[in-house]
Amino acid sequence: RPRGPPFLAEATATLPRLQAYAKFSGAPLTVNAINNCWRAPKGEVPILISEDTVISQPAKILNFLRKQKYNADYELSAKQGADTLAYIALLEEKLLPALLHTFWVEAENYCSVTKPWFASRIPFPLSLYLPGKMSREALNRILLTRAGPPLYSLTEVEAQIYRDAKECLNLLSKRLGTSQFFFGNRPSTLDAFVFGFLAPLYKVCFPRVQLQEHLKQLPNLCRFCDDILSCYFRLAVSDGRQPS
Amino acid sequence: MCKALAAEPWPENAALYQQLKDEQILLSDNASSLAVQAFLQMCNLPVRVVCRANAEYMSPSGKVPFIHVGNQVVSELGPIVQFVKAKGHSLSDGLDEVQKAEMKAYMELVNNMLLTAELYLQWCDDVTVEEITHLRYGSPYPWPLNRILSYQKQWEIRRKMKAIGWAGKSLEQVLEDVDQCCQALSQRLGTQPYFFNKQCKGLTFQYRRLVPKIRPTELDALVFGHLFTILTTQLTSDELSEKVKNYSNLIAFCRRIEQQYFEGHDKDSSSSATSRSAKRSLLR
Repeated sequence: RPRGPPFLAEATATLPRLQAYAKFSGAPLTVNAINNCWRAPKGEVPILISEDTVISQPAKILNFLRKQKYNADYELSAKQGADTLAYIALLEEKLLPALLHTFWVEAENYCSVTKPWFASRIPFPLSLYLPGKMSREALNRILLTRAGPPLYSLTEVEAQIYRDAKECLNLLSKRLGTSQFFFGNRPSTLDAFVFGFLAPLYKVCFPRVQLQEHLKQLPNLCRFCDDILSCYFRLAVSDGRQPS
Repeated sequence: MCKALAAEPWPENAALYQQLKDEQILLSDNASSLAVQAFLQMCNLPVRVVCRANAEYMSPSGKVPFIHVGNQVVSELGPIVQFVKAKGHSLSDGLDEVQKAEMKAYMELVNNMLLTAELYLQWCDDVTVEEITHLRYGSPYPWPLNRILSYQKQWEIRRKMKAIGWAGKSLEQVLEDVDQCCQALSQRLGTQPYFFNKQCKGLTFQYRRLVPKIRPTELDALVFGHLFTILTTQLTSDELSEKVKNYSNLIAFCRRIEQQYFEGHDKDSSSSATSRSAKRSLLR
């Protein structure tokens, strides 16, 4: 199966999300950078390799970790489990398009940050071709899912997706309130997902930063990211690259 | 929204437009239309349902249903909720900020999973496409226009499915997603009558005494629209409705809303939500 938009959307938010989940549930996880995407079984990254099993796709990876008893949601009630699914849907619908835009479509960000960073991690000659492809796929996804009457021009679509993303960040901030994590004192799948979306946005230094600035005005969300980074990743990010 | 708009009261001749009920409308559009009808009923705002073959093209956003109120035309549940709120009617005013966030999240869940699954079934599942969709979608139009419109729409939906990663899914995976969504809704609803049970002004007579009223919200309308339609629409197989039937509290929820908001409101033949040809009523 060829790599397509799901890989693109996931690549931006998935690795931090999976790493966070693994840390929350205590699963011993080693991150190996794959230099050649073609070597992944179906061309999809990230993939999880455990003994003889190879699994791709984040949702399946999370299920696998759960079945192996690395379950970060063990103490959640049924209702909280349902809430998790709902909030993940909210993130994917309202926040993801703007995230994709910030990373892959916004010309200054893409040319000065995303493309060089991404290209430096994949081998030549893929580095000449793949970033451009992913950028086109991001724009395609945004236009197919969000454009349409009464939004006719790209500027109008962009304005709408950033409005939606800011509203989504506000909702997350209200939901989090003063708690340490979304469900009490222990992190869960939802925290991993939110972290996966917010951390790259929070930490990467972009020239065009409207969404990042909005995030920085929500102190509880910034505190949430910083807490997870310092407790579970023990890293201080200094050069503006994604935490790895 | 300007103040002048808000000042205009809800007119008697407000109309909701959708495709032709018996021959043309598809599962997903039917669900969306029923959700809006339920919402307006819950707000006690009268609206008559008008069926037109070209409803999709009349709509300002290309999607049904849309409502025509005074000289305003608004389409889709989200904007309609905002519009109704500007006129001073709201079902979710009594919720606090955290509850409002939760409500929005669950509405996205329904759109993300249920609506997309319905679209997948009717446009990407070959059996359903051949036996139901192609026959219904363009039925008011003569050949070859009916086929052309149908193929055009199918191409458009398939492109979108590919962009969001659903094109590679099998029917079993889609049904599993529907099950997961229904499970989440069932767990969230629990044994309560509605998703949010905020007591509001006014009393109602129940169990031989007056008790505070509990009102549904737009989330209840949306969930009802989709689940009721799935349960009562005859497709090529019962797999989809079986997924919903696994959860008895969801069936009870649909029955409750049907009884409370749709029974006895059928004034003319075009506004009945429960009488459709080749479809079964929940109450049987």
